[in-house]
Amino acid sequence: MTLNRRHFLQATSTASLALAGAPFVHAGSKDKKYRTALIGSGWWGMNLLQGAIAAGNTKVVALCDVDADTLELAAETVTDLSGDEPRSYRDFRELLSKEQVDIAIIATPDHWHALPAIAAIEAGAHVLLEKPTGHTILESRATLNAAKSAGRVVQVGLHRRLGPHYAHAMEFLKQGRAGEIGLVNMFVHGGGGAELPAPNSEPPEGLDWNMYCGPAPLRPFNRKIHPGGFRNFLDFANGQLGDWGVHWLDQVLWWTDEKYPRHIYSTGGRPIRGAAVLNDNEQTTDAPDSQVAVFQFESFTATWEHRQFAGQGAEKTRIGCYFNGTKGTVHVGWRDGWTFYPANGKDPEIHEDAQLEEPDGHSISLLWTDFIRAIESGQPPACDIEIGHRATSMSLLGMLSLKLGRGVAWDGDRERVIGDDDANRLLRREYRAPWVYPKA
Amino acid sequence: MPSMNAKKCWRGLHAIVIVSMLVNVATAEDWPCWRGPRHDGISRESISPETWPAAGPAIAWRAMVGIGFSAVSIVADRGYTIGNQENVDTIYCLDSESGRVRWKHSYESALEPKFFEGGPTSTPTVADDTVYVLGRWGDLFAFDAHNGAVRWNINVAREANVRIPGWGFAGSPLVVGDLLLLNVGEAGTAIRRATGEIAWTSADRDAGYATPVPLVRDGRPLAIIASGKSYLAVDVQSGRELWRQRWLVQYGCTAADAIVAGEHVFLSSGYTRGAALLRWTDTQPDVVWKSKLMRNQLNASVLIDEFLYGIDGNDDEETSLKCMEFSTGEVRWSQPGFGLGSLTAAADKLLVLSDEGHLTVVAASPASFQPLAEAKVLDGKCWTAPVLANGRIYVRSASGDIACVDVRRAAQE
Repeated sequence: MTLNRRHFLQATSTASLALAGAPFVHAGSKDKKYRTALIGSGWWGMNLLQGAIAAGNTKVVALCDVDADTLELAAETVTDLSGDEPRSYRDFRELLSKEQVDIAIIATPDHWHALPAIAAIEAGAHVLLEKPTGHTILESRATLNAAKSAGRVVQVGLHRRLGPHYAHAMEFLKQGRAGEIGLVNMFVHGGGGAELPAPNSEPPEGLDWNMYCGPAPLRPFNRKIHPGGFRNFLDFANGQLGDWGVHWLDQVLWWTDEKYPRHIYSTGGRPIRGAAVLNDNEQTTDAPDSQVAVFQFESFTATWEHRQFAGQGAEKTRIGCYFNGTKGTVHVGWRDGWTFYPANGKDPEIHEDAQLEEPDGHSISLLWTDFIRAIESGQPPACDIEIGHRATSMSLLGMLSLKLGRGVAWDGDRERVIGDDDANRLLRREYRAPWVYPKA
Repeated sequence: MPSMNAKKCWRGLHAIVIVSMLVNVATAEDWPCWRGPRHDGISRESISPETWPAAGPAIAWRAMVGIGFSAVSIVADRGYTIGNQENVDTIYCLDSESGRVRWKHSYESALEPKFFEGGPTSTPTVADDTVYVLGRWGDLFAFDAHNGAVRWNINVAREANVRIPGWGFAGSPLVVGDLLLLNVGEAGTAIRRATGEIAWTSADRDAGYATPVPLVRDGRPLAIIASGKSYLAVDVQSGRELWRQRWLVQYGCTAADAIVAGEHVFLSSGYTRGAALLRWTDTQPDVVWKSKLMRNQLNASVLIDEFLYGIDGNDDEETSLKCMEFSTGEVRWSQPGFGLGSLTAAADKLLVLSDEGHLTVVAASPASFQPLAEAKVLDGKCWTAPVLANGRIYVRSASGDIACVDVRRAAQE
């Protein structure tokens, strides 16, 4: 067949234009090609890898996934886009033992973040780690410790620290132009209704379901989980607060000088979706369809709220943070950019449109460029593991309070819940053998 | 098109276009199934956007049918479509003049909104006074088109003992002689139309989401079926597989129908997949070209006079309406602004429905993007291709609003 090279080149250059907003950026390193491996080669992992390929400073040497089709498709796409011919692996341990990897990109479901990240760091790689940095807080801590002791750069996928409109909104806030901030509201709303269970089935051919579940409990396969549904299952992720929540909590931590909230309380559940079902025959998702979490800092309070019904509701927007200050409210949004609503209704609103990369509205090229800068300069990256760890911990404390059914007082310096042994037990989880919980 | 070579076929198509232009408004035809009477997304009806009032053509009526992506099938004065409300699917028979409900039938069916609004994704198929409906979870019905009486009903996934793919069955039923061909199982399932019995089925592997596309080779009826991992050609009578082209797509989302033209088969999918032109002369087809520049994530392109017109791109990114040369894959023009929209052709014009409900008439010409008229016809997300039948355009939103746009000349004068 004729592989129409021109089409691929056209596609590649279009992508890099869209990604970098400037013609073909080859970063600072003209000749250096980082030997890059992708662990978790699905939708988001391929978005990250395509950003890396477009930057022109990678050689994709290996791909890993527990789904054979995902793996085959990713390999074909990499070859189409870059000409690289990566080797394929089903098990990240085999990949790391056989390949020389400069950079590992990790974009597995949340319960599979810590072990591959730590293994990659220990194998000498720098890591681009998707958020959250752990499924439980001590996984995240262990990953942080591994990075520090090995001196490896770990950039977390908190690209909202790099996207232009987020940065400009933050500048506006830090200049005090919204006045003194006393309350922050974070929210993600959408539509939805009651949920019916779907029948369990044999896993799809080519999916290593045992490996997919990994350290999490082995449960019957269900089409609601894979592909693409793990976020709604608390064994594999932490629902909306563990997904979108991490981005918006990180915006709060970016803005404040405080390192962590002192008191956390969360409530919520599934009043609309209905009670979670998991039996031999069928299952539903089990993440809350609605949740409120209160994070009390020393100098302000932040709230999280999500619901998966009623759509946008009475708000002007369905996603983002409100920083409420004496001079007005700053809404930091996603596709709707950021807007300042002055307290004095006579003053004009200030607005800036979003500048995002596509598909899916992110800033991956900026995240990648910053990651490479950190590797080459020895300076920490913009979304260092320490930063990712704090945002992840905050989100997981919300989930911990929800599961526990009571508020917790957090000592963020010692990373312990004060005076609550039950809560402290939830800083980690039991792993399914043979997997061993990482040492924090 | 049995032994026609591609060139002849294209010439044939060209002739059809010319004829339909001559016949002009006199031509009126039903649209009895997904992608229309010739399964290619092209109506022979001609429309005259130059006669549209500035405010857009008249909306004859609106109806609300519930959440879903089912298009409207039209036979004579009746339209058929499906929607979901509170985990119940309802098939509606609507009067095409007034939008009044002639009959309806409901059955329990999970909405299952995974990454989208959920609800039914297939379109009813009408043949010989019978309406065939395939629900996402395998519920298969044959209704009396006049009164909605259930002729027969089975759950085809259960009866055929094959798995339901992640987003449920989305392919619409295809009538081939006495058989009803479904995209169920790895390489389809055929049902006897008279009785609802299974004639043959295929392996218990994931189906894809496209509708089977018929063709005839050496006098034998065949069909191209999208599985979760390949496009396959099968013999409709026996279910025998003739060839398969491996075609992996993110989430197994082989959603766009194949386009068959003589010995050529065009395939396209979204995400990172793109398109390919196959040439099938002997046993296994050869790949003529591959391209990343036409990614039909959900709705298929249309092929008119040797050029493809389709929406390239994925949900949540900038997409473009493109014109691509069939024989080479070369892009002739590209026009953003339609979102993850869809299109149908009215003879030599494209009816493009943007994902925000703007209906634009565009000349089907490789020379340049030439918009001829535009009207806002719906609010909310629109992913379902418009349907033109008997001088009316039927459009539908994900939330289930249907608008019947009257584009008969008489309506404009």
